[in-house]
Amino acid sequence: MKPSRRQLFGYAGAAAAGAAVTGGAVVALDKDTPAPAPVSRNIDPYGDRQPAITAPSPRHGELVAFNLLPGTDKAALARLLRLWSADVVALGNGRPAPGDTAPELATANVALTTTVGFGPKVFELAGQKQAGPDELPVMRHDRLQDGWSGGDLLILVGADDELSVVHAVRRFVADARPFATPAWRQSGFWNGTGPDGKPVTGRNLFGQVDGTGNPAVGTPEFDATVWAADGGTTLVVRRIKLNLDTWDELTRSEQERAIGRKLSTGAPLTGTAEHDELDLEARDADGRPMIAANAHARLSHHSENDGRRIFRKGLNYVHDTGTTRESGLIFLSYQADITGQFFPLLARLDAADALNEWTTTIGSAVFAIPPGFQPGGWIGQKLLG
Amino acid sequence: MKLLAATIAVALPVLLSSCGTAEAPKPVAAAQTPRVLIEDAWVRATVGTKDTTMTAAFMALTNPGNADIKLISATSPVAGMVQLHEMAMKDGKMVMQEKAGGVSVPAASHAHLSPGGDHIMLMDLKKPLKPGDEVPLTLKFSDNTTHDLTVPVKAFTEEEEHYHPTPTAK
Ligand code: HEM
Repeated sequence: MKPSRRQLFGYAGAAAAGAAVTGGAVVALDKDTPAPAPVSRNIDPYGDRQPAITAPSPRHGELVAFNLLPGTDKAALARLLRLWSADVVALGNGRPAPGDTAPELATANVALTTTVGFGPKVFELAGQKQAGPDELPVMRHDRLQDGWSGGDLLILVGADDELSVVHAVRRFVADARPFATPAWRQSGFWNGTGPDGKPVTGRNLFGQVDGTGNPAVGTPEFDATVWAADGGTTLVVRRIKLNLDTWDELTRSEQERAIGRKLSTGAPLTGTAEHDELDLEARDADGRPMIAANAHARLSHHSENDGRRIFRKGLNYVHDTGTTRESGLIFLSYQADITGQFFPLLARLDAADALNEWTTTIGSAVFAIPPGFQPGGWIGQKLLG
Repeated sequence: MKLLAATIAVALPVLLSSCGTAEAPKPVAAAQTPRVLIEDAWVRATVGTKDTTMTAAFMALTNPGNADIKLISATSPVAGMVQLHEMAMKDGKMVMQEKAGGVSVPAASHAHLSPGGDHIMLMDLKKPLKPGDEVPLTLKFSDNTTHDLTVPVKAFTEEEEHYHPTPTAK
């Protein structure tokens, strides 16, 4: 169980490299050439902000919402967050969590990240109820199930290896046991790497390129969309069932009309490349809008929503019961302000979106994502310390 | 194996849940003598175990400097007595005994205090420790540094026998 000296300094070196590297290319090696030192794919768990939000989408993700046990007061919650913070750092650096019962399952270089979120109850405990995340009303098309909704705390673990995700989640759940109990868990997957190893936007289970309209990480637009004044953000989690059976009955052009973009490249129906701007004025020979009035990409476009944007980073899911499979999207949206940015978009789509015919939201939860932490500090220290 | 001390100092900062008492070490310039860095500390819970009067603390110690440092003693207000222990073979049996001279943290290397290995033994506990509690722990090193830690208590069952040696009569 004791790691060797070599392994240890391996960890240390890996942590030092810090930054995320995507798309690890496969290098063919000559037998005589010594293997190059592996590039670290660990993502630094420390920072002003929780790091997963701006990191590339992980291949695998799992979310666990927790409800606080009745005895968990503010001081107890702070203890939980201190021990979770130590787990976040150890697991993110590929080390076993302290007290890990399966230490061999902690693996470095899988780009493992953990994001911690606070439901409204956390702010109540902290005596700052009004600072909590705004809750969403039930929408007309929603068919919400309690088993997929709400929660006082959130853990979102992502990595490029599913075993590592499952192991990390197990540690967070075990360490939470004296304080909080799981309310729901959902896991999903995303492929953000193209066949040539380069980053791509990725596709949902409708086959659509999904994420094109997002503000790009590193731009002022991204920062204005995502970060609140305190360095945190908010996360809306919506579990959206996709009816693939009826979707499959459509012709490709019907499918493309519903979204206003091409299935092949994700390009707008008025353009040729994925990132071409939508031409919302363009009309076809019969004078009909090329991007339909109820097309999802039109209704959700910032130009049609007083400039409102959100940052979406979903995970596909499948849920099997016996031989029956449910397919869907764990829709994850980050924004500085839920009421100001997310809710108006949601209301508009709920009222008119063409996609509503094939989609049903069955779970909904909101969380504040507090800022990151530095060595010696812990997640939520400002709120609960 | 030659190691880059400076890299390690940056790579492995203290991440203990300090309550403001433990000073987070600053990245160390090559000329200074850096302190030992402490990570991944935890104490095994005693609630529900056979003997709730003793337990152990575990952690990883990293010495980023180029002189060996020893952990020489530990104290905690929750324990009447704290000792540094090692596991050793005695008469063909693995036993736990006090570690003479303390736990060495070699230059540019690590020492791991872990179940089944060297550990900090907390004895004469004043009350049982539950998962979710926190325990203050003060470590003294041979470089005259003192580290005040706040260490989480976690449930653990593996190798429990090592910390609850069966009475010799049996
Ligand atoms: C029902 C499941 C959903 C599916 C399958 C879906 C799919 C898509 C697709 C394929 C695009 C176009 C490519 C892109 O820009 O990413 C898109 C854009 C977008 N969607 Fe959705 N979406 C869903 C739900 C939602 C919800 C619930 C919201 C927000 C309330 C939303 C907000 C947006 C926004 C803001 C854009 C970008 C518009 C722009 O170009 O600025 N979507 N969605």
